[in-house]
Amino acid sequence: MDRRTFLKLAGMGSLAFASACTLENEKNLYSLVRIQDDMVSGEAAWYASTCRQCPAGCGVIAKNREGRVIKLEGNPLHPVNKGKLCIRGQAAVQEVYHPDRLQKPLIRQNNTWKTMDYDEAVSLLAQKTRKAAARGQNRVRMLTGIEGDVRLNLFQRSLDSWGSRAPTVFEPFSHENLRAANQSVFGVNGIPSYRIEDSDVLAGFGADFCETWLSPVEYSRKFKQMHAFAEGGKGRFFHVSPWRGITGANSDAWISCAPDTESVICLGLIKRILKENRAGNIPEQAGRQIRKIAEPFDREKVIEISGIEPDLYDLLSESLLQAKKPLVIGTAAPGRDLHALQANAAVNLLNYLLDPDLGKIDFTRRHRAEKAATHAEILSFFRDLESDPADVVFLNNVNPVYAFAGQKGIKEPLEQSGSFVACFSNFMDETAQCADLVFPVSLALESWDEYGAYPGLLSLCQPAMKPLNGAPSVTEVFLRIAPKAAENRETAREELIFQVQQNHGIDDEKTWLDALSRGGLFDKASRRESGAENPGLQDGFKDSFSDFEISGTEESPQISVLPSVRFFDGRSANLPWVCEIPDPVTQVAWQSPVLVHPATARDMGIEDGDMVSITSSNGEISAPAYKSSDIHPGVLGLQAGQGHTEYGRYAKGQGANPFALFSVKSSPLSGTALYETRDLQVEAAGMQQKLASTAGSLDPHGRKIALTVSVDELLEPEGEKKHGLAMHDFPLTLPLPEGYDEQRDFYPPHDHEDYRWAMAVDLDRCIGCSACAAACYAENNLAVAGEEQIINGREMSWLHIERYWQIEDPGKSVFLPMLCQHCDNAPCESVCPVYAPHHSKEGLNNQIYNRCIGTRFCAQNCPYKVRRFNWFDWKWPEPLNLQLNPDVTVRSKGVMEKCSFCVQRIKQAHGRAKNEDRKIEDGEVTPACVQTCPTDALVFGSLMDSASRVSQMVKDRRAYQVMGYLNTKPAVIYLKKVVHAV
Amino acid sequence: MEKLSFKEIDNTVAATLDPPGRFYWTVIGLLFCGILVGAFCWAWQIMVGIGAGGQNSPVNWGTYLINFVFWVGIAHSGTLISAILYLLRAEWRNPIARAAETMTVFAVCTAGLFPFIHLGRVWMVYYMLPIPNDRTLWPNFQSPLMFDVVAIGTYLIVSVLFWYTGMLPDLAAIRDRASGTRKKVFSVLSLGWTGRFEQWRHYSRGYLLFAALATPLVISVHSVVSWDFALGVIPGWHTTIFAPYFVAGAIHSGLAMVLTLMIPMRRIFGAQRIITMHVLESVAKTIVFTGLIVGFAYGTEYFIAWYSRNSVEMEVFTFRSAGDFTLSYWIMVVCNSMVPLLFFFRRIRTSIVWLFGISILVNIGMWFERFVIIISSVAHDFLPNAWGQYAPTAIEYGIMLGSFSLFFFLFFLFVKHLPAISMTEMKELQHQGMTHE
Repeated sequence: MDRRTFLKLAGMGSLAFASACTLENEKNLYSLVRIQDDMVSGEAAWYASTCRQCPAGCGVIAKNREGRVIKLEGNPLHPVNKGKLCIRGQAAVQEVYHPDRLQKPLIRQNNTWKTMDYDEAVSLLAQKTRKAAARGQNRVRMLTGIEGDVRLNLFQRSLDSWGSRAPTVFEPFSHENLRAANQSVFGVNGIPSYRIEDSDVLAGFGADFCETWLSPVEYSRKFKQMHAFAEGGKGRFFHVSPWRGITGANSDAWISCAPDTESVICLGLIKRILKENRAGNIPEQAGRQIRKIAEPFDREKVIEISGIEPDLYDLLSESLLQAKKPLVIGTAAPGRDLHALQANAAVNLLNYLLDPDLGKIDFTRRHRAEKAATHAEILSFFRDLESDPADVVFLNNVNPVYAFAGQKGIKEPLEQSGSFVACFSNFMDETAQCADLVFPVSLALESWDEYGAYPGLLSLCQPAMKPLNGAPSVTEVFLRIAPKAAENRETAREELIFQVQQNHGIDDEKTWLDALSRGGLFDKASRRESGAENPGLQDGFKDSFSDFEISGTEESPQISVLPSVRFFDGRSANLPWVCEIPDPVTQVAWQSPVLVHPATARDMGIEDGDMVSITSSNGEISAPAYKSSDIHPGVLGLQAGQGHTEYGRYAKGQGANPFALFSVKSSPLSGTALYETRDLQVEAAGMQQKLASTAGSLDPHGRKIALTVSVDELLEPEGEKKHGLAMHDFPLTLPLPEGYDEQRDFYPPHDHEDYRWAMAVDLDRCIGCSACAAACYAENNLAVAGEEQIINGREMSWLHIERYWQIEDPGKSVFLPMLCQHCDNAPCESVCPVYAPHHSKEGLNNQIYNRCIGTRFCAQNCPYKVRRFNWFDWKWPEPLNLQLNPDVTVRSKGVMEKCSFCVQRIKQAHGRAKNEDRKIEDGEVTPACVQTCPTDALVFGSLMDSASRVSQMVKDRRAYQVMGYLNTKPAVIYLKKVVHAV
Repeated sequence: MEKLSFKEIDNTVAATLDPPGRFYWTVIGLLFCGILVGAFCWAWQIMVGIGAGGQNSPVNWGTYLINFVFWVGIAHSGTLISAILYLLRAEWRNPIARAAETMTVFAVCTAGLFPFIHLGRVWMVYYMLPIPNDRTLWPNFQSPLMFDVVAIGTYLIVSVLFWYTGMLPDLAAIRDRASGTRKKVFSVLSLGWTGRFEQWRHYSRGYLLFAALATPLVISVHSVVSWDFALGVIPGWHTTIFAPYFVAGAIHSGLAMVLTLMIPMRRIFGAQRIITMHVLESVAKTIVFTGLIVGFAYGTEYFIAWYSRNSVEMEVFTFRSAGDFTLSYWIMVVCNSMVPLLFFFRRIRTSIVWLFGISILVNIGMWFERFVIIISSVAHDFLPNAWGQYAPTAIEYGIMLGSFSLFFFLFFLFVKHLPAISMTEMKELQHQGMTHE
């Protein structure tokens, strides 16, 4: 070979070699050869981040095992959620591994979807926007879900560089009535923080702060600060709404009213307060004006219009009058209250009258949700698009086609206007279906970002794992397609650091790293800016009530959209855990039944499970009926969030979308959205659908399951009491040697070694939100059985929120977390022929999966019915299996399973304690459910440690064991719910 | 009793072993298909999981354990007839003792399959055997299911031995008449029986011994089966009446099954002169007796539930008779404790049609008794939130069909291959009849 040939070949060869190698997604997330610095196989690395499932912006810490995020927990340092997460936050990790998550950008060509590479898609977008910018002003439009400042700034700069308007922020739950009312009464177009924890009487006019309202985890915690029993009693909470919901179930009285009449009730209260001269120190003129507005609403009229119980109305007004620190909060976001603006304005006036300084409303700590545009603005965005099509339309993490399902003129401009619609979405949802390019970007857990729910709060998102499909984040996409806006910054991290340096004064590496490891800068936000005063009453408040007329005689039945703790505005409906865990109030999973009062159902001649078809001029839905006395008579309630026509296998075709019935128009008065249903027709469709209900009976049948005790009784000194052994009167028998009695027990007590694990459940604190159940699904690899198998009675939840409803006595409606009771005298242990349920040295009732042969005798004999059998080999469609916790066995068909008190966490603590040559400390082991409980209703510890919190709690006179008369000696000890004698 | 010569007896019985006709082959073929259906369903269930059936939470036990208890119950009256009535010298039992004992053996075999079918992981069933292992893991002898293993195992062994011992002289009689392969087979089976005096002496002592051994088993085995339920804490199960209640129920159902089997058999093989109306009438009278016990037990359960003032018990029993399983409950009450009372009328208990019809009804009623006990109690036990429902699926029906097919298949094979009526005991009966005159 001569020199020239050699060079030719070498050149060709290396060129061929270089060009043949394209970057492919790695098959393995890690290899031990190239391992990340902070990754130790077998040990978890935790990354602080921010939950982006709703605008609340809770802090999370993401557990990364071998390169994969497998579990989210609340960030204990974060001021919003203090270490807790809700059901949706727990399920957020399933979004990452969702089997229907798009892996590559999809472009529409001749009405079929073609995949393309990320780089190609980015160049395409760059090219389109460049051309659009060249064509003139406003050729690029953008609709985005609510984002942190970093992204919103970048979007704005980018659009600016293309000569276009700022992006429109779309949130289906915009709380615009709240803002409009604040604007009108206090002159602040924003959403303040409510210091619920400082009140002693709280009245809500629908605000579902235990479900979706503003910041549910935060407000649930604050609510329990005022409403959990402590020395001297507990606060009172009244929920005035046509729908009881979780929030109403936690109230001392749910005051059921007809839809759209909350404003009337509130004005009635105002009138009463003015009449009794109980108002605070307010200017005379304002007093006169308010009096004039409230004048027509005397007690009888209020009761007649709103259809509320006179006794409860009097109770509410008395309680507010007598309260030292009353607080009133407004309406729920998804309601369709025609007079929501008036209701919220009346709420503001009422707060003003009760406390002119507004001491419990903090206008300096305004919620980021206020950045959302009003529905009127959203509609005009789409109207503009129709009349003047843009060249490029960006849709970032929004689904308006679903949220405005009954509205004309949303889908059409996207599909037909000739604009190039690019949708940043990880799922083929209703809106993505209308787009020309669907660009799946990396999710919050995979990218650099920030989202602070309150001013001054820096809450960071950092990649807790490599992007599963190698997708860039939306920040990176914009940095690349808008070079002018990028200013030479290439990565999302650079952009984030740049903006954080500017806006949060982080100027040295140490502060940055510190903020990153803690999840953000929290101490700055918690300091209330001194000098900032709350606004006072504005003159314009009376405008809200001009032309305010209400008759109360509306057509019947009415449709009401109810908030759902599971689906929020519909974006969580594709997460299997969220679908699988039943709604705490209806106990129905997977479906969204039509809730109807039993009396109304009787009039309509429908029974549970009868399909009801509801038609309006805007659309038609049908759903099975579900009789519930938790809804006002004459109202048909449907929870928001389901009924997707796209959005992956778990969402598509499940339930019904109530938004399909409504059209939106903006109120001529305030510009807030008015929901309309015209030509409403409701009829039984003549078909049946079995409800996927996980509950048998609502009624505890007097079996001493979910107990309550009145405040008055607790305030009296405790008398010495000797307990009997009967069902009506039985002792607390601790799962310790002292709980044994020769007269009563056949077998001797167990000897426990160092620890006797136990859990205390304070029913007074449990709000029934089911976050614990979701945490359990995530931690313990619980299977998702699906709608059909739930109908067959085969749900796999280890922890289930049971609801025991006493309709005639709402004070006795109790949510009861039911999990394995780890009995000392366990009925399951003695009947197994092969010792698969086994009593451990530390009191755990261990289920040995490998030993189990599946006789199911244990489940039969368990009085608490907490054992779950693997009826099948359950499926984790790939890549959902990547979420599985490697510390927990995935159970195969034919074996029994149940709550283990998160034995893997106990074992881990043992390892740690042994290494450090000490005992496990109280609080060192927290099972997943205990960890996430927003209200700290669950406490875990050892009963052998007399100083532990559980040991202290079982000494509470409220302590009891569920069905303790069976002498199973459960290690889950419940504390009775404390109720006000109403 | 009508006089029969020994020869007539031998001929009648031996005639059952003649080559079968087309009808027999058809029936055997159909039954075999039934077994295949059952086997397929079981295989399917092993592949898919127990979820192929209708069991759920809270009703974790379904038709498999219903059928288990049902077939164990059927087995019992076989032993009652062949052993207890033998000890009590009730002569009317002799013509049907062999068939009844055969019924016992096959019913126990069928019943014994169901715990296996029921298991979530049948391939791990050997964990229930006390095999020494280096982890010193033993079965839990506290568990009623271990009681079951021991009780059913013992019962099967004793029943088979009793059955086989009783058959020895008859096997020899067949051997003596047979030729060719059959002769060879029966030579082995008859264990060199020559009919010598010592052999007869050993035989009758041995038979008596086995009868005495089998007798307590009638009581114990079904008592143990009842403890599968009574040792649980579940309301409706946790009661001391269960052992006698189950034993009575077992005999009740077994006697009905004897009628169901004997009536066609005597017709097909023309054995009306051996299995006389007197025999059937005696069975019917016993059914009246067991039916009354069962009816009394039903009443007692309600009385105790009411008398205890225990709201959980009361709720379960209200639910049984007026809840989701009302139909099953009333089928059970009517078929088991009311219909058999018709046997008080002589006209009815001597009518073949009535006897057969009522025996079928009692069988159905007893199946539903187990259904009601096993399903309704757990469907509504302590925790109201967990209350549920249950309905069997096609797979379960398939396995049930398979089990009935298997039982009748084995029984059909038996009548063509082994002497279905005890020649020895018939001859004894004749002989005693002669001496008494």
